[in-house]
Amino acid sequence: MIKKDVIVIGGGAAGLAAAVACREKGIEDILIIERESDLGGILKQCIHDGFGLIKFQHSYTGPEYAQKYIDQVEERHIEYLLDSMVIDITNKKIITVVNKKGLKKYQAKSIILAMGCRERTRGAIGIPGTRPAGIYTAGVAQNLINLHNYMIGKEIVILGSGDIGLIMARRLMLEGANVKMVLELLPYGSGLPRNFNQCLFDYDIPLYLNHAVIDIKGNKRVEAITMAKVDRQGEVVLSSCKEVPCDTLLLSVGLIPENELSKMAGIELDPLTGGPMVDEYGQTTVSGIFACGNVLQVHDIVDNVSLEAEHIASGVEKYISSLLKLKNYISIEIGEGLRYVLPQRVQYLADDTTFSFRVKKPDNKKQIIFKNNNRIIKKRSFIRVNPAEMIRIKLTSSELSDIKHLKVELT
Amino acid sequence: MKKEFICIVCPNSCSISVDYDKQEIKHIKGAQCKKGEGFVKNEIKNPLRIFTGSVKCINGNYQLASVKTNKPIPKKYMKQVAQKTHELFLEAPVEIGQVIIPGIFGLDADLVITKKIKKISI
Repeated sequence: MIKKDVIVIGGGAAGLAAAVACREKGIEDILIIERESDLGGILKQCIHDGFGLIKFQHSYTGPEYAQKYIDQVEERHIEYLLDSMVIDITNKKIITVVNKKGLKKYQAKSIILAMGCRERTRGAIGIPGTRPAGIYTAGVAQNLINLHNYMIGKEIVILGSGDIGLIMARRLMLEGANVKMVLELLPYGSGLPRNFNQCLFDYDIPLYLNHAVIDIKGNKRVEAITMAKVDRQGEVVLSSCKEVPCDTLLLSVGLIPENELSKMAGIELDPLTGGPMVDEYGQTTVSGIFACGNVLQVHDIVDNVSLEAEHIASGVEKYISSLLKLKNYISIEIGEGLRYVLPQRVQYLADDTTFSFRVKKPDNKKQIIFKNNNRIIKKRSFIRVNPAEMIRIKLTSSELSDIKHLKVELT
Repeated sequence: MKKEFICIVCPNSCSISVDYDKQEIKHIKGAQCKKGEGFVKNEIKNPLRIFTGSVKCINGNYQLASVKTNKPIPKKYMKQVAQKTHELFLEAPVEIGQVIIPGIFGLDADLVITKKIKKISI
């Protein structure tokens, strides 16, 4: 068995930033394990720009952003394995890896989970109809078009208005396809407002809110879909059904943190985020195993992934130096108007704690309040809030000292 | 004329309301930073966008090298630039920042590589 101080599972945005930050903290013996042939994760295929505005005050494309971190990994001689798949993790932090050379076991002092997320598919949302070729998730389409030079179709309907779907709408238009429409089940868009502007409105692609795809037609290839209006109760308005001829249906209907390995290690998951339950350092319910990036919670901005990964490195460093001392266990309660709150507990109070959360629905002129019983600890006002935009607020350890319970709510 | 703009400069996506006459702004509010006002000025006069896309690349570890314009270009050129990227061929290796077409279509922007492609030996 090979011993390592820190093993990072996943060489995407979160894993790279976490590994670099751990080295910055003075940890020497780090290994990144990546299942693909290159580091960079999903950023490799996100060739559009807009990455890095918070961290670097500059708008980079995905591959440029990834390369900044890959260069740091190379310069610091951080070890990594490519084309290598982790097939098991135990709660004793033993990792089993397979690659072309065979099977190896590693014993880590600490593990950082950075496996990212995957897309919800047609099966997850249960669209009726035939099963022809021509139905893709937006990320798979992005991979085929941007990395493999493979065009996916000509007449395209997109279901779901997540950011990847919007980005792909623009990309497909520029690559010569015709994006006929974007359908969204909710009464508001799921992606960032700026993407509706620069990806749909710039190309005159219509957006239909409160709409669903209720049928797919075609034998070998998609020939048409049936769109329909959905009322407030979520029922399909049958009189509104309309057949739309197309050869491709793209799905951008949400992302799911990829936690099969976490479950193997016996880590408790939060049904609200789909990711592990964590403390203020992103430490899961198995001590010494940490999580960051999309495996923990689905992010909308890569800079927040990098910041989250950098933050957990200080917890990892303290853990392997046996400096993590339980101080004051604070349970976190999710109040009105919020979909989830991270972390689910705070217990060390050694550094500042950054809380991240999403609101349930878009709104204007709102406040986020952190309170202990009826005492307000922190208050922040927002001109508008949107579920598409994760909110991050930092509380200092002195603001959190002497309390046992903290409620976060939107008012 | 009153109009609402959604700023695309950063993820804040500010909604900026503007009252303007032809190209002259009379009243503007909603931008959380100066860049937002600049964005709206351009949107009224000559909307600008960064183009991103890809170009075929032979002998590399990927078949495509991603590209962008290193400065925003007038929106009306987006499809033309995309068409141009379809006609190009590169040979690996290529590096980030490498200029493929300087001053594309006579604009004040170069088409540059955004992804490192390694040469593979066959």
